[in-house]
Amino acid sequence: MIELKNLTKKFGSYTAVDNVSLTIPAGEFFGFLGPNGAGKTTTIKMMTGLFTPTSGSIIINGFDIVKNPLEAKSTFGYIPDHPYLYDKLSGREYLFYIGGLFQMGKNEIQENVERVIDLLELASWIDKKTEDYSQGMRQRVTFAAAFVHHPKTIIIDEPMVGLDPRSARIVKDTLKQKSREGVSIFMSTHILEMVEELCDRIGIINKGKMIFLDTKENLFSHKSQSNGRLESVFLELIKEADAE
Amino acid sequence: MRMFLHILYFKNKMFWKFSVEKGFGVFAKGIGSAIVFGLFAVGAFYLSHYVTAYLLGGVKIGLFLFHRFLGMLLFVFFITINLGNIVVSFSTLYRSPEVEFLLTHPVTYQNIFVIKFLDNFFYSSGTLFLVGFSVLLGYGTYFHYPWYFYPFMMFGILVPFMFLAGCIAVLVLLGVMILAEKINFRLLIGIIVAFYLMQVFLYFKVSGPVHLVREVMKYYPYVDLYFGTLDPLAIKLLPNFWISEILYFFSIKNYFPVYGYTALLLLSTLGVFILLLLVGGMNFFRTWLTSLTIKAMGMKRVELRSNFFAFGRKSIFSSQIEVLLKKEFWQFVREPSQWIHFTVMMVLITAFLSSVSTLNIKLESPELMSVVYLVIFIFNIFLINSLALRFGFPMMSLEGKAMWSMRSAPIKLSNVYWIKFSLTTLLILLLGGVIAFFSNIPNLYTQRVQGILPGQFEFVTPHLALKKLALTSIIITALSAVTLVSMNFGLGALYLNTSEKNPIRIASSQGATITFLLSTVYLVLLLAMYFFPVITMHTASINNSVVSNRIFWFVLGLIAGLSGLIIAVSHSIGIASLRKDFL
Repeated sequence: MIELKNLTKKFGSYTAVDNVSLTIPAGEFFGFLGPNGAGKTTTIKMMTGLFTPTSGSIIINGFDIVKNPLEAKSTFGYIPDHPYLYDKLSGREYLFYIGGLFQMGKNEIQENVERVIDLLELASWIDKKTEDYSQGMRQRVTFAAAFVHHPKTIIIDEPMVGLDPRSARIVKDTLKQKSREGVSIFMSTHILEMVEELCDRIGIINKGKMIFLDTKENLFSHKSQSNGRLESVFLELIKEADAE
Repeated sequence: MRMFLHILYFKNKMFWKFSVEKGFGVFAKGIGSAIVFGLFAVGAFYLSHYVTAYLLGGVKIGLFLFHRFLGMLLFVFFITINLGNIVVSFSTLYRSPEVEFLLTHPVTYQNIFVIKFLDNFFYSSGTLFLVGFSVLLGYGTYFHYPWYFYPFMMFGILVPFMFLAGCIAVLVLLGVMILAEKINFRLLIGIIVAFYLMQVFLYFKVSGPVHLVREVMKYYPYVDLYFGTLDPLAIKLLPNFWISEILYFFSIKNYFPVYGYTALLLLSTLGVFILLLLVGGMNFFRTWLTSLTIKAMGMKRVELRSNFFAFGRKSIFSSQIEVLLKKEFWQFVREPSQWIHFTVMMVLITAFLSSVSTLNIKLESPELMSVVYLVIFIFNIFLINSLALRFGFPMMSLEGKAMWSMRSAPIKLSNVYWIKFSLTTLLILLLGGVIAFFSNIPNLYTQRVQGILPGQFEFVTPHLALKKLALTSIIITALSAVTLVSMNFGLGALYLNTSEKNPIRIASSQGATITFLLSTVYLVLLLAMYFFPVITMHTASINNSVVSNRIFWFVLGLIAGLSGLIIAVSHSIGIASLRKDFL
């Protein structure tokens, strides 16, 4: 479960995220949309402890990320948009490394590493050094790393960067499965079809402010008034927000 | 030429934009850096002035011997620039993304080569210009030289001298890369290391500083002449000798040799630069392709296997500590620029220790003995500082962009910091202990030395005062090792650069330069505090008198206090810096 309460982030006089509040219960697949520079990545970086909020709070699975960072972090898995890995480690070593950071026992890591390698079909290249990986391979290893410790929440920033259609299918199926298992998923993306296919609820952020927050069904009611395309609804909402 | 100037113009523009347009934080950092650089320049000026005054006015070694010592220092300076340029130019010429970018555009190989060569030279020598000028100023003011001495010496002598060292370095590198097409690259590195070691060894063997001092002191101060007949021919062919001659003849107002040696230096520099342009222009792209082959081969060949450090193996540590230790190990052994540089430094240290451990400083004057002792002592600390800067400063930055995985994991960043710090400190402390012990062997144990007659040997047992001095030096060396690693760690975290993957470039960045300057100030303070006990002990050893231990306790207390303060401040800065937003 994720709770954002009046979340604000300022960089000097510039407000990147402005008073955003939302709650994502366990098992919900939440899609986070917005144009470039809207504040999506800043919100995610605050949720994962990479940025400190200027004000407001973030509670992940009952723990405040600012007050209890270690407890909060141990409950989620994070997949960034550009998953930089340690060049000199192999994919398998990296997964062991992540398991260790999450204080898992050796046998538990071993089992889970094998599980995620199977799940994401990484076996044929997992023992190569990550410096030899393509962007898509890095992305899939990062997904695997996020699943190693059985997180209650998964936070994803642009999941499909560099993934080929087959890899994208594997990732989508895995995420659907996780959601069905009760994992709450927070996903930021530009791919509207993916939101349409996977998400239960959708939030749209523009210039740091949440301009839309509702279920997929309600969004579809907007859609029926439009030309039947989610893209048109999205563009219309952004246009309205810009005009205000 | 137009293209060359075009690129140069934009590089210059980028440099100034970066320096000027980054808001108050960067501006404040810039002001801070300027203050540090300024203070360091002032410090170097006073140090050079007083050392000159002390050696010429206090110890009275005479102008000839003084300038020969300067020549030896200039040799070390030349080799340092030379080696530094080889290492940095490998990264600049063959590992830089900018080269890849320029190669995809209609820019000639020669232009790319020259641009990157100049980039490399000014990048790695910027601070040395400042040091050189400050030292020159301190030296010149002792002799009350006119104003034109300084620009003449700086731009007519020192800069060409450094440029010559840089040109030779890149020529050597090009040679290595051309040969690497046929000979194993690692074997070539070994040959180069052996060649440089041999060069240093031969230089000091041929120039024979101890022999020179003894010969000159037979006559000086009764006969204060130019003892040039004592200089071996091979030494006269080296550019550091030419500069020592220029300075010597300038000091006795005999300007004819000054002009001659200046012309020789400038013509040699120009000649070597033209040679470099020719060789570089013709071979740069070819050697760049070779570097790709070496990299590809390296991926397959340099694959150290160790079950002990395997991630799947159980250990006595907690899972977090274990994976962090193993990650550090693999990152180090799989990064060629780390282990190659470390191996080269170890070989140089071993060579230095093997010669210094048998060096018996038996001179008549306690002042001269103290100066030699302190030179070796400070050189030891300088070596430790180089290790701390090269391997300690980049440690946090080397997490690179992958730091997100640590920042978003349930681990305290301070723990990561302390683990990295402990590993580096342990290694450098161990090396520091070895360096201090070996360089103090003549003061700790009975030595067999050459007697007056050929084939005759005598045994010299060190005086108790010298034994106490040796033990104190070992303790101070250990203390300064921890201090210097702390300083490099703290400031390395403050000047965190996760965009740069190359540890050598991180260790020669602006932040690293400031750290180096600050650590040099610490070294000077150390020297100032240790001077009195050293001279007291050497006087006691010559007069065979007894000295109280109080002097050691007092100085150790002072040094421990200063070091403790630096350690505490450095770590506070370092850990606080890690809490900043990860962009």
